[in-house]
This record gives sequence, structure tokens and C-alpha cells, in this order.
Amino acid sequence: MHWLRKYLDKIAPNFEHGGKLERLGPLYEATDTILFSTDIRTKSGPHIRDSVDIKRVMILVVISLLPCYLFGALNVGYQYSNAIGVNRTWIENLINGIFIIMPIIAVTFVSGAFWEILFALIRRHPISEGFLVTCALIPLTLPPSIPLWQVVIATSFGIVIGKEIFGGVGMNIFNPALTARAFLYFTYPAQISGDKVWVVSPDGFSGATALSIPAGKTDANAVDLLNEATASMVFDYSWNNMFMGWIPGSIGETNKWLIILSALFLILVGITNWRIMVASVAGLLITALIMNLFSNYSNNSMLTIPPHYHLVMGSFLFGIVFMATEPVTGAHTNSGRWIYGFLIGVLTVIIRSINPAYPEGIMLAILLMNAFAPLIDYFVIQGNIKKRMLRYAQ
Amino acid sequence: MDHIEIKKGHNIRISGLPIGNPVSVPMSETVAIYPYEFQGVKPKLMIKEGEKVMLGSPLFFDKSQPKVRWPSPANGIVQSIHFGARRVIKKIEISVIGDDAVEGPVYTKEKLYDLNREDILKIILDANLFPIIRQRPFNKVANPMDKPRDIFVSAINTAPLSVDLDQVLYLEKNNFQIGVTALSRLVGKDIFVTLKKDSKIIDISDATIQTITHLHPGGNVGIQIHNSRPIKPGDIIWTVDAQNVISLGKLFLTGKYDTKRILSIAGPGTSNPQFVSSNVGSSIKSLIVNQEFDLPVRLISGDVLTGVKKDPDEFLGFYDTAITILPDIVERPFMGMLQLGSSKTKYSLINAFLSFGRTLFEFNTSQNGEERAMVPIDAWEKVLPMDILPNALFRAILAEDIEEMEKLGIWECDDEDFALCSFACPSKIDVGNVIRKGLNLMGSEG
Repeated sequence: MHWLRKYLDKIAPNFEHGGKLERLGPLYEATDTILFSTDIRTKSGPHIRDSVDIKRVMILVVISLLPCYLFGALNVGYQYSNAIGVNRTWIENLINGIFIIMPIIAVTFVSGAFWEILFALIRRHPISEGFLVTCALIPLTLPPSIPLWQVVIATSFGIVIGKEIFGGVGMNIFNPALTARAFLYFTYPAQISGDKVWVVSPDGFSGATALSIPAGKTDANAVDLLNEATASMVFDYSWNNMFMGWIPGSIGETNKWLIILSALFLILVGITNWRIMVASVAGLLITALIMNLFSNYSNNSMLTIPPHYHLVMGSFLFGIVFMATEPVTGAHTNSGRWIYGFLIGVLTVIIRSINPAYPEGIMLAILLMNAFAPLIDYFVIQGNIKKRMLRYAQ
Repeated sequence: MDHIEIKKGHNIRISGLPIGNPVSVPMSETVAIYPYEFQGVKPKLMIKEGEKVMLGSPLFFDKSQPKVRWPSPANGIVQSIHFGARRVIKKIEISVIGDDAVEGPVYTKEKLYDLNREDILKIILDANLFPIIRQRPFNKVANPMDKPRDIFVSAINTAPLSVDLDQVLYLEKNNFQIGVTALSRLVGKDIFVTLKKDSKIIDISDATIQTITHLHPGGNVGIQIHNSRPIKPGDIIWTVDAQNVISLGKLFLTGKYDTKRILSIAGPGTSNPQFVSSNVGSSIKSLIVNQEFDLPVRLISGDVLTGVKKDPDEFLGFYDTAITILPDIVERPFMGMLQLGSSKTKYSLINAFLSFGRTLFEFNTSQNGEERAMVPIDAWEKVLPMDILPNALFRAILAEDIEEMEKLGIWECDDEDFALCSFACPSKIDVGNVIRKGLNLMGSEG
């Protein structure tokens, strides 16, 4: 790689201050530092620094998403053959699935990189690695049948409105990937909700997500409804199978045990906060139990979903592991994170159960709590101040 | 005796720690003092180039507190006075000749008890030794007119590669005791001395002894104050470095300014890490005589977290007790951000690399990344053993919100206590520097 280093060093002066390509400086800097670790040295203060930088943090999140991608491709291929009634080997399913989701990934990264680079060049700030994570997350939250032009619009909205207008990574209020998804959800609901979009097949196969089966139904037990669906359709909605992920859904969210593995990986490397995840799960389980208690007084079938079914139905786990724990848009204090996470769990169940129009609640729950995170932090900070003021008064 | 247990913090496993007893290095031919290094001081010169000075005779005073004068670190002739922009006095260099010293009255420990606050203050001011006393908040040279709430002395050093203070103080126990007694007469009560857990000087009198976990930044006096008797707005705490307490003790016992310092010459860039016995203001050249360098190195006066970069023809800072040497070469591995890493190539407080084990790491001067916006993954919180919300305080300082800064506890903070936060920050933000800006802002607003 010596020649590449030499070449980069040779063209470097063009991009420096006063060079003829000065405006493209951030692009050069990004290419240079992605290919070769930076040689920036400390100027003062601590003369030595930890080896971790934001590039490493972001790339680790992307790595933690790879299993979801792999299984997503496998499942998309599997559901395809399932829908047309053909029995294929897993390798055929995987290849087929990759062909279906690859264009979505490519389109997301190209449009995401376009906006990130454009903003960096115009505003003359370095290109932030954060967009890699945003772009890696967006395809996983989409149904495999999503039209590519919608992916472009959604990614653009997520990056520009969700992040860049606030000043880029670190300044944004809402999770950009979820902002992108929410945009699609409200502007093109036909392509991201309902029963027709979750399975790619030649003639629009109806494959309901687990959550949409009891949604809107009355006077029935949710588990019975799922069992009925298992019997009458080609999909298996048993708890075990939902945990294993062989069900229709968004590309990356169906396999729960891989998500749990990724969560453990992120916690182990120390870049994600376990408090948010634990609190969310607690909030979900407790609220689901309360809903069960109320199910006798209502005919809404969603109230009868047992807590452990809530865990494996829909994108809850994916949301709390990869979206809710996003450090910038979540609460910044540890006590705040408990409250923030718990309320995400609570709101998820409430949105799922009370409003059958939105059978998936996690997206809106996280976005709503993103908006409230600064308020939660405010109260935690006031608590810290109050304690100090009491000490001052002694 | 109280023990302060701290859990947050980190002892950086950096290579190049000296072992063994201090060795003597030849006396530096020139010594120097850097007047601009003292926070908030407006120096006014008392000497001219070519003038003769004695060890301990005054070189300059602070215009805002004319009683506070700085001592010459040696007997000799003022060789040169260096000015910076706007006539800032950068450096006073003195070529050393002989060892004549200003001599003051001599006391025994018993006699010290007959002296009151004013007497002690006068002796220290007359000996031009007052600048060894610094104050919190602001960590600047104290004002002799103030009546401090307490005096704190940290007798434990947790900074990377630092001198084992306990051993130094054990060998100079008598002088240290006299210094402690003198300081206790200044406040009319016991002063606070913080030691390591199994200290050999636990029987120091005239002091409230407390111990603290050996976990950096636990050795910083700011952390010790915060975790025992926190500063309230309006409080003033005086602090004295342990080795300066020894100098103070010797001043009372001999009447002379003793400039002896035990220093650590350490770091991954040293060929022969060692403790040396030298003097305040020594030239760096004289301290690194036993080191050989094949590759470019960075010389730092002070420890690796808070020290100042210096050239070899410069001099040791007034309060510094270390010269840290780092290799100044930074390599650029291909696709570095994807590397698995090993304990030889990466060092991190989080498990972002396959760098396990407790091996010592050869740090260099690399920043290991570009500066980015703050991404709060708790890197700062995990190394700050204070009941302070660093993230909130940081933002209050950026917003220049004085009231909020005060509420969030800035009076208790000093940049040296936040140096580990800067070390650990994945966004490569110099947190300590921002804290210093906040303090300066508080100072300028009165």
C-alpha cells in the first residue's frame, strides 16, 4: 500500500489551504483518513490519547449490524421461496435474498454519502463517519419490497432533515435512521405497512407481520389468532419461530437471537449503554402485564398479547438495541437513561395496543422519547444541582 | 483516619517507569523561571540582565499582590530575560555561580508553636517562597491576604510515571513535618494531608490524615478536596505540593530556600528511565544526560497528561516533578480503523480492540483520530471521580452560561482533574482545556 500512500501524499497539496481543489478538502481528508489512520499529533494537554476514535466507534456499530444483514438476506430469500411454494437450499435463498436487498443498501449508501459530502463541502466541516451507521441502519428497517426511489427520498430526508440541518452528527435531536423510516411511514404508508409489503414474490404475496395479525381484531386472544394464522398460512407464528426470525417483516429485525448477540457485542466493547436496553425491556414487560390485566374489560385483542410475545413480535428488540441506544439522541445521563429506556418500553406497548392503526409502536416510541430526552436530562441535572445547593447551604 | 474510596478513574499502563533510588545529575549550568506560566499573575521585574542574584533573592513580583515575590532558583548572574508578544515576560535565565543563599531566621518545631499566622506568613513572604502556595478555585498562586478555609497537601502521586512521593517524604520526614506544622499555624488548625493506603508517614502530626485509593486522578488535590470537604462558592482552599512542603520545612529549619527536587525522567521515549535528584528550574538538558535518543522524541515538563511540551534547551517548570519523554513518530497503518488491534498496537479504556492483558503500552504523540462532535458514550464519566456532570458542565461552558456553570460545580473543578477525560474521549475533545476556559471566564466576571 506504499504506492497509495505516496500518491495521496503527492496530491495532498491541492486540497490544502490555497490549493486549487481546496473546496474538496473534506473529501480528501475523509478518503485519506479512512484508508490510513490519521497522523494528527496531540498539541498540548494530554500528550497521549486513547486509541479509540469516532471512526472506530462507528465502524464497530456497523460490524454489529452485519449478522442482521446476513440473516435478513437469508430470510428474504426464504420467504420468497415460501411464497411461491418452492423448496430451495439455504444458499439459494441467501443469494436470492442478497439480490433483493443489495439494491436497497446501495441506493441508501449512495444517497446518504451524497448529502453528507455535499454538506461537508458547503459548510467546510469534516465528513462525519456517523452517516455510515445511519445508512447501515436504514435498509434494515425497511420492508424488502420497498421501491428504490422511496429509499432515496427517505435517506435524503433522514440525513438532511434528521441530521444535517441541526449541524451534523452530535447535534441532531432525532435518530436520523428512524426519521427516514417515519418519513416513509407517513408519506407512503402503502409501501411500508399493511400485509402486502413484507414478502417479495412475483405476484404480491400477502404476508402479515406478527403484530398485524391481532391488530384491529376484537374478542379474541392474540396467541390463538397467531396459532390460527400459522395453521392457515405458510408462515409459522409460534414464539420459537418468531424468536428465530423466519417470519415476514422488515429486513433486519426478524431474528431476535442475532439482535441479542449484537447487543451483547456492543455492550462488551463498551460503546452502547445497557441501561437503556434493560429499562426498555422492563418497561415493555410491565406495561404488557398491565395490558393483560385490562384485557377482560376490553374487546381489543392486542391487550391479550403476553409480555414474552411482545418481546419477539415486531421490531422492538432491533429498535432498543440499535436505535434507542444511539448516544447523541438519547438521554445523556445514566439516571436519565433508565427513565428514557423505561418509557420507550411503556410507549411501545401503549402504541401497539391502544391504537390498532399503528401495530408497530417502537419507531414512534423512540422518536417521541428522542424529543423528551433533553427534558429528562434537564431534571437529572436539576437533581444534581439541587444536591449541590443543599450542600452549599449547610 | 478516613479513607476515600474512589472507583472511577484509570491508571494508564504506560511504559518507561523508572525503578530504584534517585541518582544525582550534575547541577545545571543555567536555571530558569517562566513568569508567564503562573495563572493570573502580572509579573513586574525586580532585576536586570547582568545583575547578580542569590539563591532565594526576589526576581519579580505580582503587580496585583506586590507582597508576593518569586525566588531565584540559584545563585549567579541574570543571563537573559526573554519577552514574548506584548512584553509578556516569558523566561528569566540565570547562569549559576556558587551556592550563596539568602539567609533568614532559623526555628525548631517547638518554636513554631509560638508563631502566629502573621509571623509565619511574614517569614514565607520574606523568603520569597509564597508562590509555592496555590489556591482552589482557579489553581493559581494564592493571595496572602485571604483567610483560607483549609490547607490541603496531597502526599500521593497517581499521575502516570510519577515519583513515589511516599518514599520521598519518608526520607525527608522531619522536614516535611516542620512544613506541615508551619502550614497548620497559617490556618490555626490541622491541615489535610492525603496519603496512600499503606503509607510510611502515617504518624505526621498537626494534620488530619486521610488516605485515598491509588487510582488516578485520586492523587490530584482537587479530587481529594471534592471527596472530603468540597468547595462551596466563596471558599478558598490553599494547596501546597508535597515536595514544596519539604522546601518550606527546610526554610524554617535552615533559613534557606532548598530547591532540591526528586524528579522522574520517564516515558516510552527514554532509553534509561530513572528517578533523579535535581533542582527547581534545572535545564532539561541537564536532566536527560543519561538518555540516548535514536528517534525523534517529545520532551514534556510535567506528567504526560498535564505537562508542557519543551525543547531540550528549555527548563523544568516551577511546580513540575517529571520530565516525560514520548516517541514523536506516528505511523499511518492502512485501513487502521478496521484493525483488530493487539495489546502492542492499541490501548483503550473500552474493549474496542483485541488488546487484552496488563502489559505496559508504548504510547506516542498520536491523537489517534480526528476531532469530532461530542458523542456521549460515557468516556468522560468513567474516569472522573467527582459528583459533577462533565457533559452538562462542558456545554454550560461552551454556552458561557456563568450561572449554570456555578450551579454545576465549576468552583470545584480544575483542568488537571479533567485531563483523563481528554485522554479517554473518542471525539478527541480537550475537556481540560474547556474547563480552564470556563474557570477563566468565572475569574474575569469577578
